[in-house]
Amino acid sequence: MAQCKGTLNGKVAIVTGGGTGLGKAASLLLAKEGAAVVIAARRVHAIEQTVKDISELGGKAIAIPTDITNTIHVKKMVERTVSELGRIDILVNNAGIVRGQGPKPIWDISDDEWRLGIETNLSGTFYCCRSVMKYFVDQGHGKIINIASGNGMRGARGDYMYGTAKAGVINLTRILAITFAQSNIQVNCIAPGYVDVRHMQPEPAVGETNRTAKFIPVGRFGIPDDIGYLVLFLASSSSDYITGGLFPNDGGGLAGGIAPTGFAPIIGPEAY
Amino acid sequence: MISKAFKLDGKTAIVAGDSKYWSKYVSKILLEAGANVIVASKNTRSLDEIKDVSPGYKQSFIVIPTDTTDRLQIESMTEQVINKFGRIDILVNTSNLLLAKPFLKISEDELYQVFDTNLVSVFHCCQIVGKEMIKQKKGRIINMVSCMAERGVENFSVYCMSMGGVLQLTRALNLEWAGSGITVNAIGTGWMSETEKTGDINEESLLKYIPLKRYGKPDEVGPLVVYLASDTSDFLSGQFLYVDGAVMSHL
Repeated sequence: MAQCKGTLNGKVAIVTGGGTGLGKAASLLLAKEGAAVVIAARRVHAIEQTVKDISELGGKAIAIPTDITNTIHVKKMVERTVSELGRIDILVNNAGIVRGQGPKPIWDISDDEWRLGIETNLSGTFYCCRSVMKYFVDQGHGKIINIASGNGMRGARGDYMYGTAKAGVINLTRILAITFAQSNIQVNCIAPGYVDVRHMQPEPAVGETNRTAKFIPVGRFGIPDDIGYLVLFLASSSSDYITGGLFPNDGGGLAGGIAPTGFAPIIGPEAY
Repeated sequence: MISKAFKLDGKTAIVAGDSKYWSKYVSKILLEAGANVIVASKNTRSLDEIKDVSPGYKQSFIVIPTDTTDRLQIESMTEQVINKFGRIDILVNTSNLLLAKPFLKISEDELYQVFDTNLVSVFHCCQIVGKEMIKQKKGRIINMVSCMAERGVENFSVYCMSMGGVLQLTRALNLEWAGSGITVNAIGTGWMSETEKTGDINEESLLKYIPLKRYGKPDEVGPLVVYLASDTSDFLSGQFLYVDGAVMSHL
C-alpha cells in the first residue's frame, strides 16, 4: 500500500464535485499528501469510486452525496464532516456545470435556466463558504480554493450563466479574502483553461493536439492534475501569505487574447 | 461630429511623439473640438501631410519639429507654446514605434530605440509639460498605448515592454498628480488600419479573431481623446480604456 503522508497530515478537506475531473484529481492529491478528504457531489457512484481510489492508495476519504444548490444538503454535509472527521481545514469549491446545452439566444433563456446556472456555479460556492466559515473562524485558520474559469475573466459568445457566475466566484473570492484576512483564512481562486477531463493519466499523450488545442499557446489541453497540484499548493501552509489571489492555469492563453495563437508578424524598426 | 458638451474651445493641446499616424487623427479631432493644437514631432516631412488635413484651422494649428527623446527640444517646444498660448491644457502622447521579431533576434540598439521612442519620450513630456500643468492646477494627460500594454503577442516582446511601461506610468502618475487637478489616462487601441487590409494569412486570421470582424479606423479613437481632454471627465483618472472592437473582452 502506498503511503499517504505529507504536509497535510491530520488536515481535513472538503472537495465539492470531487467525483470526477478536476475535483477528483484534487481529491487524490490532497489525500496523497495526508489529508482526509470529503468527496461531496451529487453522483453517488462517482464519489464512491473516488473514495475507493483514495482507499486503495492508503488514504482516507468519505463520500457525502451533496447537491450544493441545496442549502440543507450543504449544512448537513459540513456537520457530518465535523462529526466524522473532527474538523475542517480546507474547502475546495469545484462543483459546477461546465455549460448548459450550448449557447442559445438570450431571449430563449428561461428564468429557471438562468437561476439554475447561477445557483450551480455561484450560489453553491457561496453556500459552502458560508457553512464552513464559522468553523474556520473558531479554529483560527482555514483555506478556501474556489475553481472559477477563464470564462469568468473574459467573455465567450452566448456564455451567459456560466461566465456571469464564474466572474461572481472570482470577486466572491476577493470579498471573502478581505473580510477574513485577519482571521487567518486564505481564500484563493483558480481559473482553469481548457482541461480535458477524460484523461486522468499524469502525462498527456505525446502530440495530442487537435483543432482546439492548437489555440492553446502550450499546444495541449490541460489535464486534471495541472489544476490539482495548484489546489494542493493553495491548500498547504506554503501559501499562507497568499489570499484573494486569482491563479489562471490555462496554458498561457489569457496572457494573450488579442490575436490568435500563432499570429507572429515581423515588423522592422522603420525610422520615423 | 462632437457634442457641444465636450467642446475644447480656447484650450491648448500638445500632441507629442508620433508624426505619421496618431498625430494626424488626434490633431484633427482636437482642432474640430475647438482646441489650439501643437504637434511636437521629429519627422517634419510627414508633418506637412498633417497640415493639409485641416486647412480650415491654420490659426490654431502649429507644428514644432521636436525629437521627443531629447529633453532640451521638449523644453524649448514647451516654452514656445507657453509664450504663444499662455498655458497648456492637454498633452497627448502618441509615440508608437512598432517592432516585431523573435525575441532572440532583437538587438540592443533596437531595444533602446523602441524604449526611447515609446517610453522614455513619454517620461520627458509628462515631466516637462506636467510642470506647467501643476502651476495651472489643472491639466489632462492622455497616453495613447496599444492593448499590448496589457496583453502579450508573439514577436512583440519589446513593444509590449514599452507599452506596458507607459500604462504603469499612467497609473502611478495619476496617483501622484490627482491632487493637482491633473488627470492621467491611457487609451488602449486594438488592431487598427487606415486601409482595408486583405490577402495576408496573418491578417485574415486576425480579422476573424476580432469580435467586430473588422479593423478599427484611426479616427474612431479621436472622440475618446476629446472626452478625456474635456472638462466633463474631471473625475476619471488613472484608467486604461480600450478602443478595440471588443478584442480585450475576448476569451
